Amino acid sequence: MTVLSPGANAPLPSGDLTVLIRHGMIPGAEIDVSTFLVTGTGKVRSDADMCFYGQPSVAGGAVALAGASGGETRFTVAPSRIPAGVERVIFTATIHENRGTFGQLSEMEVQVGVLTGKIPCSGRTETALILAEVYRRNGSWKIRVVGQGFNGGLAALATHLGVEIAEPAPTPAPSPSPAPAPAAPPSTVNLSKVSLTKQNSTVNLQKDDGRFGKIRVNLNWNQKAQKTGLFSFGSSNIDLDLGAFVEMRNGNRSVVQALGNAFGGFGTPPFVKLLGDDRTGAVTDGEWLEINGDKWADIDRILIYAFIYEGVPNWQQTDGVVKIIVPGQPEVEVRMNEFGDKRGMCAVASLENSNGQVRVSREVTFHKGHKEMDSSYGWGFRWTAGSK
Amino acid sequence: MAVSLSKGGNVSLTKEAPGLTAITVGLGWDARVTDGAAFDLDASVFICGEDGKVRSDTDFVFYNNKTGAGGAVQHTGDNTTGEGDGDDEQVKVDLSKVPTEVKKLVFAVTIHEAESRNQNFGQVSNAFMRVVNSVGGSVLAKYDLSEDYSTETAMIFGEIYRHNDEWKMKAIGSGFAGGLGSLAASHGVNMG
Repeated sequence: MTVLSPGANAPLPSGDLTVLIRHGMIPGAEIDVSTFLVTGTGKVRSDADMCFYGQPSVAGGAVALAGASGGETRFTVAPSRIPAGVERVIFTATIHENRGTFGQLSEMEVQVGVLTGKIPCSGRTETALILAEVYRRNGSWKIRVVGQGFNGGLAALATHLGVEIAEPAPTPAPSPSPAPAPAAPPSTVNLSKVSLTKQNSTVNLQKDDGRFGKIRVNLNWNQKAQKTGLFSFGSSNIDLDLGAFVEMRNGNRSVVQALGNAFGGFGTPPFVKLLGDDRTGAVTDGEWLEINGDKWADIDRILIYAFIYEGVPNWQQTDGVVKIIVPGQPEVEVRMNEFGDKRGMCAVASLENSNGQVRVSREVTFHKGHKEMDSSYGWGFRWTAGSK
Repeated sequence: MAVSLSKGGNVSLTKEAPGLTAITVGLGWDARVTDGAAFDLDASVFICGEDGKVRSDTDFVFYNNKTGAGGAVQHTGDNTTGEGDGDDEQVKVDLSKVPTEVKKLVFAVTIHEAESRNQNFGQVSNAFMRVVNSVGGSVLAKYDLSEDYSTETAMIFGEIYRHNDEWKMKAIGSGFAGGLGSLAASHGVNMG
């Protein structure tokens, strides 16, 4: 292992790269890691060159956000596919809404193969840091550890790198009279996140052409729940499954979930697909559903749910969160943080086709099983017991 | 057309500009654009004899001693921020007045308070050394160091030296541990 301090540079091995950022956690604050593809002038060519939670793959997949959890964020970089004109790929860490500073961490690391960049953090006042850059040099690629940043957070950093930032969306009005979140101006990147809570339970996502692209739904949770109390024994690992009820405009209804091998389809109805079910715990970014937002006109409503397939039904311990990521729209997140419920099934959020908009509502209601949830929401499926 | 030098390379300034009598040596770098302590870089010149050492302490030209070699070498002053396009610090050299026993001028740049500010050259962008003909203002040679440094806090950028009857420039790009003090000591300056 070669350790690089800020300012140091080193040649990178040829071939595709995995860049692992170990940023750790700051209590009460959320750390986002983003990359920017910049030209020789140090600016992005367009807002499409910023790879972040709202835009996880850029430059035709040459740079992609491959996963984030537990204080680590992983990117894949395929240098051979980076467009000519892009001279540097800049890796940054920012604190969401500037709710802390990087001085609260001792250090951060950037690892590529045998190279580890260490960035000391204590005493820092920045809320946005350029961690490292991968750059062209005489036809090959090198990495430089940077460790410099801005006190003004992601907005200051993005402006420095030539990305236009949308004004933060106003907080949606409380239910029962929800206001639509304003659509971001088309030439700017929207950095806001919308957290649906009991008080603010609905958001409308709007697009003029009614095509929402690939809508991604992520379920993540704390897989190693803490053992608590004298009576906890055996495996405490929790396996949560993500699923969806889908109703089309033509009245067809389907269930998409791993149980019963009903993985659905992306290009074919129901236009909702569950990506592989991981039961080993090796995948740290949880489970993913993809909704074909270009077919949104054919979809009437979707109910997204999570159920505890294995482990003690204790939602408080799972710390589960569902994120709904629509390209070009603020990320919507729903936390399953109702405490103490012992029922194993949680209806998390609903997506309704409301005059072509995607109306996302927080549900977070608990049920004994599929059948009970079904009848609560009036879907009318026929249920038999199943197993993976 | 300026000659672009890479580390270790040299060029005859006299051949580039026959009849050359005076040059301005420009040293530049980009100002820090991120938040945090600014980079304050200082250029220094060591006026050396045959043995590679200064002849006396006044041959060490820096921000507190701006002229050397009887006025033939003139430091135009300290730019503490690196702001502005082009050269950040300049040293004017009247080649025709440089005493014959002077064999080379060594140009170094050091980062002020590098250790306490936790700074090094790897954090500074686009450092260069260039030589401009004082008559007419054409750029004779330029050396871009940006890939020749890493975690150094003091760097010898390059040398202007006599070779037979010519003046030449050599791109050095070598780091030097210990900052300006030890750099000066190694060139024979008596440090108080």
